[in-house]
Amino acid sequence: MITLGERLTIAQVAAVAAGAEVVLGEDARARMTANHADFVAMGSPDVLEMKEAWLTGPRAGEASPWERLVAFVRGHCAGVGAPLPVPAVRAMLACRAQVLAHGLSGCRPEAAEQLVAMLQAGVHPVVPSQGSVGAAGDLAPLAHAARVAFRLGGQAVRDGRLLDSDAAMEGLPEFRPEPKEALSVINGATLTVALAALACHQARGLLRTAEVGLAMSMEVVRANTGMVRFEVLQSRGHGGGVRVGRRLRELLSESTLASVDRRPDAFSIRCAPAVLGSAWDALSHIEEVVERELNGACDNPLVIARELVDGGNFHGAPVALAMDHLKTALTQVASIAERRIFRMTYGVLTGLPSFLVESTGLNSGFMLAQYTAASLVSECKGLSMPASVDAIPTGQHHEDHVSMGPIAARGALRICDALAEVLAIEILVAAQGLEFRMEEAPLAPRVEALRARVREVVPRWREDRVLHLDQQAVAAGVRAGRYED
Amino acid sequence: MAVTLDGQNLTLEHVVAVARGGEAVAVAAASYEEMRRSRAWVEDLAEGRRVGPGGEPLVVYGINTGFGSLARVHIPFEQVRELMRNLIRSHAAGIGPSVDADAARAMVLLRANALTRGASGCRPALVDLLVGLLNAGITPVIPSRGSCGSSGDLAPLSHLGLIVSHAVDDPDEETGSAWVDGELVSGREALARRGLVPLTLGPKEGLAINNGAQLTTAIAALAAYDAERLVLLAEVAAAMSIEALRGVTRAFHPAVHALRPYAGALACAANLRRLLDGSGLTDTVPGKVQDAYSLRCTPTVLGAARDTLAHTGSQIRVELNAVTDNPVICLDADEDDAFSAGLFHGEPVGIAADVMKIAVAELASLSERRLFRLTTGNLSARLPASLRRDDRPGVGLFGLQTTAAALVSENKSLAWPASVDSLPTCEDQEDHVAMSTTAARRAGEVVGNARAVIAIELLCAARALRYRLDAEPGVSLGRGTRAALDVLESGLRDDDEAVPSERVTEVLALMGEHTLIDAVEAAAGRLLRVGESP
Repeated sequence: MITLGERLTIAQVAAVAAGAEVVLGEDARARMTANHADFVAMGSPDVLEMKEAWLTGPRAGEASPWERLVAFVRGHCAGVGAPLPVPAVRAMLACRAQVLAHGLSGCRPEAAEQLVAMLQAGVHPVVPSQGSVGAAGDLAPLAHAARVAFRLGGQAVRDGRLLDSDAAMEGLPEFRPEPKEALSVINGATLTVALAALACHQARGLLRTAEVGLAMSMEVVRANTGMVRFEVLQSRGHGGGVRVGRRLRELLSESTLASVDRRPDAFSIRCAPAVLGSAWDALSHIEEVVERELNGACDNPLVIARELVDGGNFHGAPVALAMDHLKTALTQVASIAERRIFRMTYGVLTGLPSFLVESTGLNSGFMLAQYTAASLVSECKGLSMPASVDAIPTGQHHEDHVSMGPIAARGALRICDALAEVLAIEILVAAQGLEFRMEEAPLAPRVEALRARVREVVPRWREDRVLHLDQQAVAAGVRAGRYED
Repeated sequence: MAVTLDGQNLTLEHVVAVARGGEAVAVAAASYEEMRRSRAWVEDLAEGRRVGPGGEPLVVYGINTGFGSLARVHIPFEQVRELMRNLIRSHAAGIGPSVDADAARAMVLLRANALTRGASGCRPALVDLLVGLLNAGITPVIPSRGSCGSSGDLAPLSHLGLIVSHAVDDPDEETGSAWVDGELVSGREALARRGLVPLTLGPKEGLAINNGAQLTTAIAALAAYDAERLVLLAEVAAAMSIEALRGVTRAFHPAVHALRPYAGALACAANLRRLLDGSGLTDTVPGKVQDAYSLRCTPTVLGAARDTLAHTGSQIRVELNAVTDNPVICLDADEDDAFSAGLFHGEPVGIAADVMKIAVAELASLSERRLFRLTTGNLSARLPASLRRDDRPGVGLFGLQTTAAALVSENKSLAWPASVDSLPTCEDQEDHVAMSTTAARRAGEVVGNARAVIAIELLCAARALRYRLDAEPGVSLGRGTRAALDVLESGLRDDDEAVPSERVTEVLALMGEHTLIDAVEAAAGRLLRVGESP
């Protein structure tokens, strides 16, 4: 059970995305109640009327506050493209409830509880994945969710069935939002941070897997272990590199295939602590930013000391920049892994049979595995192109600089996907390479355990078979975290 | 009307008709003769009837050698069937979700068409089987990721190979997967349901299936078709916006464009004039001498997109009718009839797809700036802010401009060229690759995003024109823009609760069915297509 309104971590967001239960904390409820009382004491200003007047000027026709609210929410349902996957929608709902739980939005606890109730009942609104610039927050994606939460139409998936909002919301509390609550549910870069949290969670597992792939490859190429010596890495002083060295020394403990008296290796081996280490250093910075945002009041205006204060907390820039950084970091991890795959399949460079299979010629072995990895890495390079460097004026020049945060975060998740596949290929190819080396010397015990784990899902390659199936099997294991240790 | 394949006459329209419309496919009688001749050459070789000067068996790449860097290994003829089987299986190395059904079908069609030239040395039965898949409504599952586009789309095509070339008597054999009757089934099951019989591949037939950039070309061809039609829709949208903003049409005068005579700009200006002919809204603001760039420079920007798409389209049209195999068998060309060359390399289509992305991204970028003006009070010649309707609450179409901006921004990242990258593969034998499949997939995404931007402009412009008509009853619209407005207004559901997102979906449907362009042309006359000039 995850309590919203207390400190929220990346791992918890990933757990909610995967289906964990959530509750709104008692402290948060009290904060929200008190803050809402302040808002009422101020006369419950109709922020939607203010915002509408500001956006579009005075109008001739009269509208009731409720009519205005309905039109406001519906009018922001402007997303396009394929729907977000359910875990992303869950993460977004939880992160938005967390924002409200700060008790600075002038909302009743019921506003956050409505989102919590949807998570608990498994009501997952259909939210188009495209169309947000991440400032003033992820208005469109959140509006699609709010439309279902407020029973104003739209569709949701519940128990695997696509339903209209009324049917999907059956059994949940009736919640009739106040104007400030409608604005506060949709105003902030919350899809961005939700996707960012999922990307960070995946990235952490993938970097641990990359260390495992590196260790296996080092025994295949009979690497020189000087590069993972503590003194060497400490002398340069980057924390990530030191960390990679420590893990590699653990993974390669008792290795005889890799040792200090080998000749210096190619960069894809020797410089791996620098490359993987810099990705770790990047990730720890990025996680810090994302966790700050998970625990930040990403809303506007805020109700502070009985004043309605307009700020810019909804702008997605902090997370957008972090996601563009993550994309670059993960792409270089994929890139260096692919070069190791290239080496391991290149007979002249290893002294092992070309493409790691007997009777080459008749068999092509792992030839295409390296092509697949090369294609994936190249794809990552394109996806790494930063989104946050762009901004297009929107909202009649009121919203004249925007973050493009959700584009950056979606790009990061696409790169996580491709990186998982590249690492799967490295592990698959390395397992085969290790089996040739076992004839020369025993494997390090940890490496042997990893090789055996691969063999639980794919047999040794003796004659050509459908490579796709092997790649998919190991990739599924990588995504499930089976090759992190 | 069946599409008849002869390797030389396939058009983009044919590809779309078969890939999306389920059009029947046939093979030209003359092509069978060509295929039989080259097949006889291969079989003579494989059965030892073709020998070198010293009586030694001829060695031909991929027929009796390994593949890639393994060409150095000679394979005895008695192992050739095993070699072919291994080739398809080991090269079925794709990963990730399948490409869309239209791309998968287009890939099968293009591969069949390439083989009909008779340069690949396969049996006609292989082409018949590929055509059989199409006619029987069997859509192969082709993993979308993992191809470098050189040497061709080996992995994606090998997934097709699994379906058509498995053994009938081995129930455990992996046979790939396919959709048939809306169901996802094994390749074996798909063929069985339609009474098709898989082949056991003979010499050379593995490479005949998998060596060439047909997935690249399939995706690029569909994107090119959509992009060419999108240009017309963008011109209709531009004309509507220009009219709603009371634009100055002198910027489209033929005398102006004759001074900087790009064919695309001339065509775009001519189309705008045709669409706006008869408008009582344009050129009516006293003292306004010129408009902002997003209006005034429309022929320049869309013209550049037109010229670019004309070039990229012609590259893709060459590839639709190209042999992309290696080795190729050119009977009558030389004493030694088999040529190892590089026809499979995806670069021609990869570069075209990358450039197509830039052209289409710019088309959408310009559109976004026009619809920004439509929705921005001080820029819209007194249209209501955000095109809000005064008779009901709401923020108008404010949200859709943000959506358009997001799509345009996303296109900027996607436009990053894939083909500039290359990584050495296959023990440095295949040391420069195209990355064309990635380029084509991204082109498809860019075109999809741009379509949504144009849909948003059409929606905004229709709202704006309705406002003008209500404010000035009796004012005339252009012949083309009037017809477009009528289609849009009658095509949108009468539903006050519909949200902008749903409106975009409705407009996209009108764009996709050609309803809009057909109605505009019926009213205003034929518009110039990409590649045409006045």
